[in-house]
Amino acid sequence: MAARPQAAGPGPAAPAPAATGGRSGSWALMASELSVLFRRLRTWAMLAALAAVPILIATAVRLSSPVPPGRGPTFLDRISQNGLFVGMTALLVSVPLFLPLTVGVVAGDTIAGEANLGTLRYLLVAPAGRVRLLLIKYAAAAVFCLTATVTVAAVGALAGVALFPVGPVTLLSGDTIDAGESLLRSLLIAAYIAVSLLGLAAIGLAISTFTDIPVGAMAATVVLSVVSQVADNLPQLEWLHPWLFSHYWLDFADLLRQPISWTSFGENALLQGGYILAAGAIAYGRFTSKDVLS
Amino acid sequence: MTRRWLRWLPAALVPAVLTAAALAGSYQAGAAVSLPQKSAAEIIAMIGHSDVRALSGTLRQASELGLPQLPSAGPAPSARLGDGQGLAAVIELLGTPHTARIYLDGPSKARFQILDRLAERDMVRNGNDLWLYNSADNSAAHVTLPDAHAPADNHPKTATPGATTPEALAQRFLAAVDPSTEVTVGDATIVAGRTAYQLVLTPRSTATLVDSVTLAVDSASGLPLGIHLRARGQGDPAFSLEFSDISLSAPDSSVFTFTPPPGASVEEKTIPSKAPDTKHAVPGTRPSAARPVVTGKGWDTVVGFPAGMLPADVRSAPAFAQLTQAVPGGRALTSSLVTVLVLDDGRVFAGLVPLERLQAAAAPQ
Repeated sequence: MAARPQAAGPGPAAPAPAATGGRSGSWALMASELSVLFRRLRTWAMLAALAAVPILIATAVRLSSPVPPGRGPTFLDRISQNGLFVGMTALLVSVPLFLPLTVGVVAGDTIAGEANLGTLRYLLVAPAGRVRLLLIKYAAAAVFCLTATVTVAAVGALAGVALFPVGPVTLLSGDTIDAGESLLRSLLIAAYIAVSLLGLAAIGLAISTFTDIPVGAMAATVVLSVVSQVADNLPQLEWLHPWLFSHYWLDFADLLRQPISWTSFGENALLQGGYILAAGAIAYGRFTSKDVLS
Repeated sequence: MTRRWLRWLPAALVPAVLTAAALAGSYQAGAAVSLPQKSAAEIIAMIGHSDVRALSGTLRQASELGLPQLPSAGPAPSARLGDGQGLAAVIELLGTPHTARIYLDGPSKARFQILDRLAERDMVRNGNDLWLYNSADNSAAHVTLPDAHAPADNHPKTATPGATTPEALAQRFLAAVDPSTEVTVGDATIVAGRTAYQLVLTPRSTATLVDSVTLAVDSASGLPLGIHLRARGQGDPAFSLEFSDISLSAPDSSVFTFTPPPGASVEEKTIPSKAPDTKHAVPGTRPSAARPVVTGKGWDTVVGFPAGMLPADVRSAPAFAQLTQAVPGGRALTSSLVTVLVLDDGRVFAGLVPLERLQAAAAPQ
């Protein structure tokens, strides 16, 4: 919490060129933003909680009797035969709540957090600074999306390798691939889920511009992600489903088919892009027209 | 003050433009296409002359059959068909939307994948080996196909009950074309990015539930690309199956090699002496000495099966009670296209007609 005033609080210390709006200034601001984000205890606590998911799954499966197929989350029964499934199971379990929760916290904090600490106006001393600040805040949230997903996948792979035998991985199609290719697919899945979370991060950023109370923005973002998933499960709202930002979240399994089905990757990216543009436009409208008093 | 409002302009415009673009994209499929005029007979001949031997594509199936939703919606627990579970599996396959991928290379290599959420059901045929795989319970089944089959019989679609492609369905309907049906040529359309003729089959009878059958035929290769079944008094097609993308080049040969994954339960199956029954309206019906009674003709046909042809386990399956409703003298399965009447004395009547006609056909006997 105390990191912000040191890093960027008393006016951008490093970014003297930031005032001129140059490219190097943006990079300096981005670097400062990332260092603030990743020097926060809260960020590390959230990443640690995410890392605990695969460790918990791996330990539980290791200590219990074999799981029969078809019970528990998909892939759970495969873990005892192949440790590389730990990461995939952990990602599957984290997608509905844990990952949106952490992304909601980071994205909801972006603008409202600065406003709450009273540091927002220092960040805006540069001319034309508001749009750039929005972009940089969003870029930092996007970096967190990727970091969170890769953390789950990587810790899952490590825990799986440590506790279980590693061998050829069975895909949903029944074909098997070797361990190296399965790591590649795990990375693809992590990328897919990171992309899936970009829309939510943009929504969190937009909500964050409307309030000076970060907790409110965080809660609203997380609630929206839950509402979207509930709506996605109601058959009565079928017409709405393709428009919900969480609609393709679980379709990362299409990367576990042989040959890979890229359709959902493309559709998901398109949908998230749409949400980024729409939420970004709202954030722009609010943030560039609001009076920053704190 | 005006400048402040201008800053809100993107917030209003961007979502509107995005929505408009998305809607325009989905309506583009209905855009007018100009193709040289062809008669219905020419289009049917095109299908007959179609020599597509290799393809890979994605099929999308959608249903508005008006069937009650089964609680166990989702992939069937196993690839078994024909027992009590088969009924639920077939209803699930036909009654809920699906995406499937199909790969064909010549008459003896085929792969069919039903893409479920977080699961997949596969059918792989390579020469005489037919593999069924279900990822939900990691089970596989292996069938060795006999050599004796004629190439037409060897077609993977007839060997796998429930697996329906535009080709298989369309051939059945074209065979039934007779004076009972008006065949017209509809507006040309685009299916899976290819221009296609549309063949519209309209029953002349008003007693059937079927309003029309529309078949999309690729203008270049004659390959049927999609089929839509419309029911009377229903806006959306009751059943539609069409390619969402297709490529007519030969798929990679590795697609057709299948070895059961380690840890999978593998079941060896022997093929029955007769080709498996593909009538999905009454799964599990086995040929027997007693012949079905056919009343009516054309679209009004009612098929009556004598007592004993319906295996007892179908009636006792929980899905049976959920799908059917009690009617005088038995139970009936009603959907927007097909009606099945199972009488308490064991006789079964089925047809593309309303329930009253089935009851009328059952009455005099």
